[in-house]
Amino acid sequence: MENEKKKSLLEKYNLPLHYLDFAHVEKCTNAREMEKIVQVLRSGQEGHYPDLQRCAEEKLKALKPDSKLFRYEEQIKPSTALDTSELKPILDWTDAIKTKDSALNELKKVKQNLNLPSVRKLSKIDLDTQSETKTPKPAPKARTQPNTKNKEARIKSTDYSKWDKYDPDEEILRMDLDEERDQEQVEKTIATRNKSVTTDDLKNEKDSLYERLQAQLKNLSQLEREQFAERHRLRGNESFKAKEYENAIEEYNCSIIYDPENAVHAYNNRAVAHIKLKKYFSAISDCQACLQLDPMNVKAHLRMAEAHNAEGRHLESLSLYKKVLGFEPDNAIAEKAAKKLTSILGEVAPSTATRLTIEEIDPPQLQTTQPKKELVKSASTAVKKPEPAVSANTPPIKDYDLAELVKPNRMVKSNLVSAAEALGSKLQATKGAAPKKPQSPPSTPKESMLRLPQDNLNTSNKLLIQEI
Amino acid sequence: MDKPQLIEHLHEAVTYTVYDTKWVPLSAKFVVLGSKANGHGIMDIYELNQDKLVKVKSVEKKVAFKCGTFGAASLRNRHMAIGDFEGRLQVLDMEQPDLPVYNVKAHSGIINTIDAIGGTQIDCGAPEIVTGSRDGAVKVWDIRQGQAPVVDMSPPPQMGDGINNSSGRRDCWAVAFGNTYNAEERLVAAGYDNGDLKIFDLRTLSVRWEATMKNGICGLEFDRRDIPMNKLAVTTLEGGLLVFDMRTQHPTKGFSYVEERNAGRSVGTNGVISGPKATVWAVRHLPQNRDLFLTGGGTGSIRLWQYEYPDRRVIDDSDGNKLGVAGALNMVSAATLSSQPVHCFDWHPDKLGLAVCGAFDQSVRVLITTKLNTY
Repeated sequence: MENEKKKSLLEKYNLPLHYLDFAHVEKCTNAREMEKIVQVLRSGQEGHYPDLQRCAEEKLKALKPDSKLFRYEEQIKPSTALDTSELKPILDWTDAIKTKDSALNELKKVKQNLNLPSVRKLSKIDLDTQSETKTPKPAPKARTQPNTKNKEARIKSTDYSKWDKYDPDEEILRMDLDEERDQEQVEKTIATRNKSVTTDDLKNEKDSLYERLQAQLKNLSQLEREQFAERHRLRGNESFKAKEYENAIEEYNCSIIYDPENAVHAYNNRAVAHIKLKKYFSAISDCQACLQLDPMNVKAHLRMAEAHNAEGRHLESLSLYKKVLGFEPDNAIAEKAAKKLTSILGEVAPSTATRLTIEEIDPPQLQTTQPKKELVKSASTAVKKPEPAVSANTPPIKDYDLAELVKPNRMVKSNLVSAAEALGSKLQATKGAAPKKPQSPPSTPKESMLRLPQDNLNTSNKLLIQEI
Repeated sequence: MDKPQLIEHLHEAVTYTVYDTKWVPLSAKFVVLGSKANGHGIMDIYELNQDKLVKVKSVEKKVAFKCGTFGAASLRNRHMAIGDFEGRLQVLDMEQPDLPVYNVKAHSGIINTIDAIGGTQIDCGAPEIVTGSRDGAVKVWDIRQGQAPVVDMSPPPQMGDGINNSSGRRDCWAVAFGNTYNAEERLVAAGYDNGDLKIFDLRTLSVRWEATMKNGICGLEFDRRDIPMNKLAVTTLEGGLLVFDMRTQHPTKGFSYVEERNAGRSVGTNGVISGPKATVWAVRHLPQNRDLFLTGGGTGSIRLWQYEYPDRRVIDDSDGNKLGVAGALNMVSAATLSSQPVHCFDWHPDKLGLAVCGAFDQSVRVLITTKLNTY
C-alpha cells in the first residue's frame, strides 16, 4: 500500500535500474543524471552499495564540483575544538576592547556638537492608493487616451460614408506616434530616477563632502576617528573585491581623511586600486606617502615597483625589488619579478654592445674614448640619424623590403648599414650634420612603418641612459 | 579543512524567551531582550570576560521586549532603540535604563521589527529609526521630533465590519534601511506576512518598487545600509532565501534575484534534505565583508553563504533597457545549534567572526567563526 502511495526515488527520477552500475557511472557525463543516481544510492531505497556510492560521488565531484549534494551540516563544535592559538586572539581582544569601551564612556560626558541634518518634514506614504495609482500611472495615462479615442472613433460596419473617409495609413501613423510617446514617458521617468546619481557636478559634490568631513573631524576624538577610518578602509576593501575600484578609492580617501597618521593600509590599498585603474602616477605617490609613515613597508615597495614597471621604468622597478629582497631575502614575488626584470634588461644590454659597432662607421670624433654614457647617447643619435635619410630615399629604391625594417634592432641596423652603403655619399652628408630631428612629418603609411623600429630604439636608449 | 568553521564559544541558558540579541558597539558587551513567563520585558547586559560571560545588568519592565537596535546611536552615547509587545518605541541609555531618552506609543500592535541608521555615519542624513508592526504600519522616527513619526507608511483605515475584511490588514514582519549614501537618499524595505515586499523611497516619498514572494517575509537586510544599494537579502517562511541585485532596476521586470529553496531546512549529514520545510528566520551580513552572510533556520541550524557576482552585472535587454544579472549563492558551511529555531543573530561590528545568537530554546550563544578573513 505504501509503495503505491509513495514512489521510490528511482521511479520519481525515471531512472532505469541498470544505471546503478559501475559501468554506467563510469561513462555517464550528465551531471544532473549523476546527481539523481547519487541521491538514489544515498537514500538506500534500492539497497546499500557503499563502493558504488563512493564511486558515483567521486564521479559527480568531477562533473559538478559545486553540486548541492556535497553540502553537509554538522553539529556545532564547542570551543575546545578550537586550537588555543586561534582562541587567544579573541580573549586578548576582549581586554583590548574594554579599554576602548571605558574610554568611550568617559567621552560620553563630553558634549559633542555634530551638526546633524535637520529633522525630516513630517510626511506620509499612502500604501494602497500609492500602489494602485503611482506605479502604473504613466502607462494608463498614455494608454487610456488612445482607447477612448478609439471608442469614439469606432465606425459602425454599416456606416459606409465614414469608412470612405477612413485612411488606414494615417491611423497607423497615429498609433506609432502614441507608442513613441509611451516610450518617451518611460524613458523620462527612468531619467529622473537616475538623475541624482549621474550628475556632472559629482566631483564638486565629492570635494565639498571631503571639506565637510574635515570640518567634522574637530568634533571627534582620536578613538572615534580611528573607528571611522577603519570602517571606511574595510568598505574600500569590499568595493575592491567587487571590482568597483572607483568606489574603493573614495572609501580609502575618507579613511585617510579621518586618520592620516595611521593610514598605512589605506594608502597601500589605494595604491593597488590605482594600479587596477592604470593610474600609475597616483599609485606611486600613494606608495611614497605610505613609505613616509612606514619606511619598511614591504607591500608598498612591491606595489611601487609594480607601478614603475607598468610605466616602463624597469630600472626603478628592479632596484625596488632588490630593496625588498634586502628586507626579506625569500620574498617570492620580489624574487620572481627581479629575475624577470633582469632578463628583460639583460636583453637590452647586449643590444648596446651591437650598437657600439655602428660607431665604427661613424665619424671618428664620436668614436673617441668618451665616457660610456656619452657613447650610449651618441649611439642613439647614430641610430636616429640614418633613419630619416633612408625614409627620405626609399621611394627611388623600389625593391627595398620595408618590412625588414620592422624587425629586431640588429636586423634594422644591418639593413641600415647596407642601405647606407647603397646610398653612399648622400648619407655621409646627413650623418656629418648635427643631430637633426627626423625630417618631414610622416604622411604615407610607408614612412610610419619605418618610424616604428626607430621609436622603439629611442625609448630603450633613453632607459639605458637613465640606468647609467 | 580550509573552509570556515562555526564554533560555539559560550552558552548561557536563561529563564525567559529570548527575542533579540545585539552587541553594544565597540565593547565586549551584548544585550539580550526577551519576555518572561509573566509577560514582563527583560533586558540583560552580558559582558565577555576572557572565556566567561558575566551578567552586568538586568532590567525588568512591564511589557515584553521584542526587538532592538543600536543603528541610530552615536559611538559616544550608544543608546538602544527598543520596540515592545504593546507597540511602544523607547530609546534607552544603557547606564540609566529606567528613564528612557525617548518614549512614544508608536503602533497599536506589537512592534515586530526595528532598524536604525545614521548613528555612526557622518554626513549621511539624520539618525532615524524605522519600526514595523502587526498593525500593518511602517513608521520612521527621529527622536528629535516629538511624538509623531517623520514618515508614516500605514495602510488605509480599515473598512467593513472587521469580519469579512479581517485579512485585509497586513502584518509587517521585517524592515530594513538602505541606499543611504548621501544626505538625501534613503530607502526603507518592508516585508509583510503575505509575502509582499515594498521598497519605499524616503527622498521622493513614493513606493519605489513592490513585489510579492511566495511566502511571508521574515527577514530582510541590505548588505550595507550606507552605500548605493547593492544587494538585498530576503528570507521567507518555508525556507526561501532570495538575494536581489539592487544596482539595476528594470522598468518592468524590476530587480533580478537568485533564489535558494530549502535554506531553512537541515541539510542532513549526508546531503539528503529531509524533514519539513522550515522558515528562514533571520539574515545578517558580515560587517567586514558584505558578500558573506548568515541565515538562521527553523530547524535550529545556521548557514553561512557567499554571494558570487556574475561576470557582468548589467545587460541590455531587447528593448534597450538595462537588466540586472543576479550572481550565485554558495553555501560555505552549516551547523546545527539547537532543536529550536535560531531567530536572532548579530555579528560583532568590530571583531571579525564573533557573533551572538538567540534561539527559542531559552538560551543565548556566543559563536566564533574561523577563517572568515580568507574570503
